[in-house]
Order: sequence, then structure tokens, then C-alpha cells
Amino acid sequence: MRVEQVASLEGHSDPVWCCAWSSDGNTLATCGTDKSIRLWTEQDHEWVCGTILSDGHSRTIRRVSWSPCGNMLASCSFDGTVCVWTKKDGEFECSVTLEGHENEVKSAEFSPSGRYLATCSRDKTVWIWEQGGTDDFECVSVQSCHTQDVKCVRWHPNEDILASASYDNSINFYKDEGDDWACDFTATGHDSTVWSIAFDREGDKLVSGSDDQTLRMWKRYHAGNQAGISPSWKCISTIQGYHTRPVYDVSWCHLTGLIASGCGDNKLRIFAPDPEQQVDCHTADAPNFIQAASLDAHRQDVNCVKWNPTRAGILASAGDDEVVKLWKVFDYEIPI
Amino acid sequence: MAAAGFSSALKISDLNDFITPSQECIKPVTVEKQKKGLGSIRIGDDTDDLTLETPKIQRVQITLNDCLACSGCITSAESVLITQQSTDELLRILSESADRHIVVSIAPQARASFAAKYNVSYRSAGYRLRSFLKKLGVKEVLDTSFARNFTLIETKREFLKRYKEDRSRLPMLSSACPGFVCYIEKTHGEAILPFLSHVRSPQQVMGSFVKTFLGSKLSIAPDKLYHVTVMPCFDKKLEASRDDFFNEVTQSKDVDCVITPVELEELMLKQNVVFTDLEDTEESPSGQFALEHCYQHKGSGSGGFGEYVFTSAVRELFGEEVPFCDFKTLRNKDFTEVMFTRGDQVLLRVAICNGFRNIQNIVQRIKRGTCNYDFIEVMACPSGCLNGGAQLRPNEESPKELLDRVVELFKESQQSGGRSPDSDSAVDELYRDWIADRAERLLHTKYKAVAKSTSGFTVKW
Repeated sequence: MRVEQVASLEGHSDPVWCCAWSSDGNTLATCGTDKSIRLWTEQDHEWVCGTILSDGHSRTIRRVSWSPCGNMLASCSFDGTVCVWTKKDGEFECSVTLEGHENEVKSAEFSPSGRYLATCSRDKTVWIWEQGGTDDFECVSVQSCHTQDVKCVRWHPNEDILASASYDNSINFYKDEGDDWACDFTATGHDSTVWSIAFDREGDKLVSGSDDQTLRMWKRYHAGNQAGISPSWKCISTIQGYHTRPVYDVSWCHLTGLIASGCGDNKLRIFAPDPEQQVDCHTADAPNFIQAASLDAHRQDVNCVKWNPTRAGILASAGDDEVVKLWKVFDYEIPI
Repeated sequence: MAAAGFSSALKISDLNDFITPSQECIKPVTVEKQKKGLGSIRIGDDTDDLTLETPKIQRVQITLNDCLACSGCITSAESVLITQQSTDELLRILSESADRHIVVSIAPQARASFAAKYNVSYRSAGYRLRSFLKKLGVKEVLDTSFARNFTLIETKREFLKRYKEDRSRLPMLSSACPGFVCYIEKTHGEAILPFLSHVRSPQQVMGSFVKTFLGSKLSIAPDKLYHVTVMPCFDKKLEASRDDFFNEVTQSKDVDCVITPVELEELMLKQNVVFTDLEDTEESPSGQFALEHCYQHKGSGSGGFGEYVFTSAVRELFGEEVPFCDFKTLRNKDFTEVMFTRGDQVLLRVAICNGFRNIQNIVQRIKRGTCNYDFIEVMACPSGCLNGGAQLRPNEESPKELLDRVVELFKESQQSGGRSPDSDSAVDELYRDWIADRAERLLHTKYKAVAKSTSGFTVKW
């Protein structure tokens, strides 16, 4: 495997917390401590920032998320609010501000169907909002299953299933049970804060990155599975011995199956299925992922990593060093 | 256990602080310094152990009131509650003050909870609770339902006044749920407070009645009267402790102590009392507050605010009778509405909104000016007060099965007399003999926003 830096996007004046690709893979949204959202597109082989959205939040913007249609962008902030930005006449404007969280909102994610928006906060709750009209979101559920700060929410790629990761070291899974949503499983195993989680393409596995310097892989056991295991998410492998500081973010590429991690040791790492392991890693109960690349990506913490959803091997990373970088991975079929 | 009892609205107001007052309380504490005189040195002999005599500093007591007035943790209020409003406290009062006349008022929801869990009738559950309490030494056991008449009537009056004179303060929000009130005061303040009803909850009307009327009727000095309520939720303890419900005249709280079904059950367990073995003797009812009346209002298990305001407002504003209130379920079963229309014009819109998620939507709509309801019955618990956080927990069945039976038993009790406050001579009598021109003082209350403390040190990544 070979990894090359293809661009360095400079413009943020403070640490960059998050980067997010639009579903067509053409626009990268970034945000951070400078309270602004920047939208980057490629023009004549150059990545340029064409839009800066800066009047939505009064404190750090922690994360941004695109709606699947690409016409909406949700940003969440330490000011306790979530802004939904809607594209009108080619320009994004803040169409609605969602209030309700008691304090810092850590993550906001549109569901793949576009119907729901999930948010989570230091107030230990996870909220699910449903899109009503164009500029209307209604709170359909408030989940208080975590006992601490909730760091990250992510949706299952094909079903209305939500996962959340927390400072209480656990990962919760929620689904709609008719009148309300309910947490139907709690996955435990990490020894410290779970900072980030990511589903694989099928949604049968989940990878989590933790303050305990490991990645864990979880497999979904459906009701009535052949192994006779009750419906659950079980840890099937732990990737340890690589990260020397907390893992702040993970991204699972739905095109290549590669996993990228961002770490407090300033490194960006890429993990690939072990070619020595003679099993199909999509069905294996204990797939072995090995480190295929490790790069000194940033001068400080790597806060966010995101695989491009349409261009195989393109990866974005964001760091405390105020820089966003784009990488291209070559020869990913042959990890080593 | 107590924490589990608080409504989610209360818990979310300050989830971050799982502290007890002793640990991290930010309330400034004043220690009175002792006057310093001249120092003296005492020379002891060699065999003296070196002992330093330090003046004993009195341990600081943080009262529940301090907690309520503070924007800090709500969870620390919990540990204060445990010491100040508990069955232990009740037992202490019972054992220490033999001359005290102890009155217990039972909420109908709590009664229904015992009935459902122990498979007895609603009626019988009340009598059994009375047997137990009387054995403990309680003098009188009453039902809070009759007090609700005054809450309902005053709520209607307040609503009609706003509807006619000040529609900018619509929707009017019911304020019988202390979890909701506390959440609004701490989190939304002036943006939402003007919409809250200023009428006392049935618990506090009951308190007002017991301390100002019952006492004088029985010729018992206020300081000899101790009033306990049995309520379906822990939040009611916060309500009883509010400054506004301290009566300057009687120099006591209208409700001295709030206990809940789970606590009562625990006390029975401790004393080896089996609920189903308790006697369920009917007594000859003395007065409207007697358990024998099984007094009930129509409508929801939270007090029927929505139904009563809707039907009586339609009558008084538009001169029509609504035979029954058909609340339509909206987004979920905890958000329902009823409308009064003429032609294609909606003249009155009333909603019942239970649970934190629905409260959120109401609050946001009011803030955006897009809430088109006239009156909303709001309760912090999903399913309302029958599902209060301190109701009895099931042994074997699921919580939902137990709740379904609580609802069923409560409904049954309503059938025997789903009463209307408007056509009750006993209500009129009390308005005349007790309340007279003092409605404002006896039946209403005030709210105030609690300023948030903002500290840069509270940031957590």
C-alpha cells in the first residue's frame, strides 16, 4: 500500500474538529474552534474553499453532517445548539436552529434515509429528530441510556438503527419501537471513552476507536442466527499495539473495506484485512485487521478521518494543527 | 432509587452533576467567626498528650430550598430530599411529637398504583393505606382529589381571562407538574414562564386547605398540625419545599413532607406489614376529602386539565356543550389534541403533552411563535401522572402491564363519579367559607427564572 498526500487545505484559524464528504463525494465540509464551516470543492485540480458559513454558532463547531440529498448540512456546537443549513439558490443558509440539549452538542448525523437527524451531548442524552416540513424538525425521542457524556452518534447504513458512543466506555444501539425509540443493546468492552464509531457497508459490523488506544470490531448477531447467539453486537476483534495515544476517530470505507483511524499521536493509520488469514473477512467471526499504513499526518492531534464515499482510496483528515489534508491510497487491494 | 424517581425533565436540567452537597456544592457557605479574645498559653506537664482544642464548627446544612434556588446540580437536591422528606422523617415526627396532629393526604394516582400492584379495588387500596397509616399514629387520612376542584376552576378562570384579554400569553401551560415547572424555570426562564398557569397544583391546594381551614375547624394550632402527602412522583417533594408554599401566617410549609408509593411500600416491608393483610374497612365519610367518596374528575389520569378547560371553555366562550372530549393522537400517544370548530374555523385548540420529548417540541414551537394551541396540559412523565416516577414497581409483570392496570383501575374509579367542579355545592361552600376573597393567596403561586451560572471551567471536550 502506498499513501500520498494530494492536498493540504488551509484556511481555518483554529483546530479543525471535523470533516465530512457530501454523498456525491464532491464537496468536503470542515468545521472547528473558529466557529466557521468551510465548504471545499475541486476546481482545475485544486481544492478551494468556495463557501464559509460563519454566523450560526457562538462556540466551537464540533461536527458537521450532510443530508443524503446534499441540500442540507447539520452542524453541532459547544454552544448547545444544532444548526440545519439549507441550500437555497445555490447558497447555504441556516434555516433552523435546534435547541434542547443542555450543553455541548458533540455529534449530529442525518440518517441515510434523510428522515431523521440524531444528536448527542455532554448532557448524556441522545436525541432523535424527525424532519417535518422543509425547515421543521421535531424531537421524536430523547434517550438517556448513557451515564456520561455522549461523544458520537452514527446511523446504520441501511436501516433506521442508531449507535452512540460515550465517555461511559460503552456503545448503545437504538431502534424505533413504535411509539418511541428504545436502546435495545449496550456493547461494552473498551476500557475508556469511546470517541468514535463507524459501520461497514452492510451494517453487519461496527468499528470503534477509544481512549484506551485500541480499535474494536463488533459483529451484529441477528435474531435467530445460526450460532444461537441472542440478538446483539459482540466484540470479535481488538486492534491493539499500534496507537500510542487516544484514538479520536475511525472511518470504514464502504468502497474498499479499509479502516482509517485518527490518533492523538498525530498519526493517521490505515488498517486492512490480513491477507494471510484465509477466510472471507465479510463473514468471518474474527477477522484479522493489520496496520497497512501509518503516516505522520498532522503536527498535532488527528481529530477526524473520513473516506470519500464515491472515490475509492481518497481520504480526508483534520487536525488540531488547523489543517485539513487529502490523501490518496494506492494498491489497497494488496495491503502490504 | 430516588434519582430514578425524578422525571426526565428534571434530570436533564443538570445531568452532569452527580454530586452530593458535601462534595462539590457551589453554594457559598458562611461560617460565623468567633470573636477573638486574647490568646493564652497553657503549660502542661510532660505527661500531657498534645491536644488541640478546636472550636466545633457546626456542620452546614444545605436545605432543599437552597438547592432549588441554585442553578447548580439538581441531583444534589436528591440527597437532601432523602433526609428532609422521607418515611424516616415521618416516623421521627410520629415518635417525637405525640401531641402533633398528623394528616396524610393521598393522591388518587398513588392509590391506583397500590390497587394495581396488589390486585385490590381502587376503593379498597385507599382504605388499606389508611389502616396502615393510622396504625403508625396518623390521625387523619384524606384524598387530594377534592382539592383538585379548586385547581381546575382557577385554571379555567385564568385561561378564560387570558383568552379574552391577553392572547399573547397563550397557549397557557398547566403547572401542576413540578418537574416541568422546575425545568422551565431552570432552562428556559422568561421565554416560557409567562405561559405557565399560576394556579397551585392539587397538592398545594390541599396543603393550603389543611393548614388554613382544616386546622381552624378542628381547633388545632398550625404548629401542632403536620401535613404529609402521598404522591406518585419524587418531583412533588421539590414542589412542597418551594418558598412560595411556606405560609407566613402559620409559620409552616403547607405540605410538611411528601412521601411516595415506593417509599411507603418499603416502609411496609421494613415493618413486616403485608398490604393485602391490611384491613379495608369503610368508615362513615367525614367531609368531602374522605377516601370513601372516591372523588374523581373526567379526563386524563393527570387530573383532567385538558378535558375540563376544553369543555368548560367551549361552554363559556361559545355557548355549546361538548358531550365528550375526543383527544386525537398526534405524533405519539403522549401528544394528543382536541379542537372545537365551527364551519371550517378552529375556535379552540387544546392539547395534552406528556414526556420530555414532547415538551421539547412545545417549548420550541412557543419560542418560534408557531404553537397554535390555546391550552396545553403538560406533564413531564410519559403517560402522565399515573406513570409517575415513584409509583410502585412490578414484581413479575412488565412495567407496561402494571401501568395498563393502574390506568384501568383509575378509569374505573372515574366511572363511579367523573365529577365536574362546576356543579358541586360542596365546592361552592368552600369557596364561600374558606376561600372568600383570598383565592389569589390560597390558590395561586409565582415562578421565577433561575439564572444559569456560566463558568469557563465547566467545558469538557
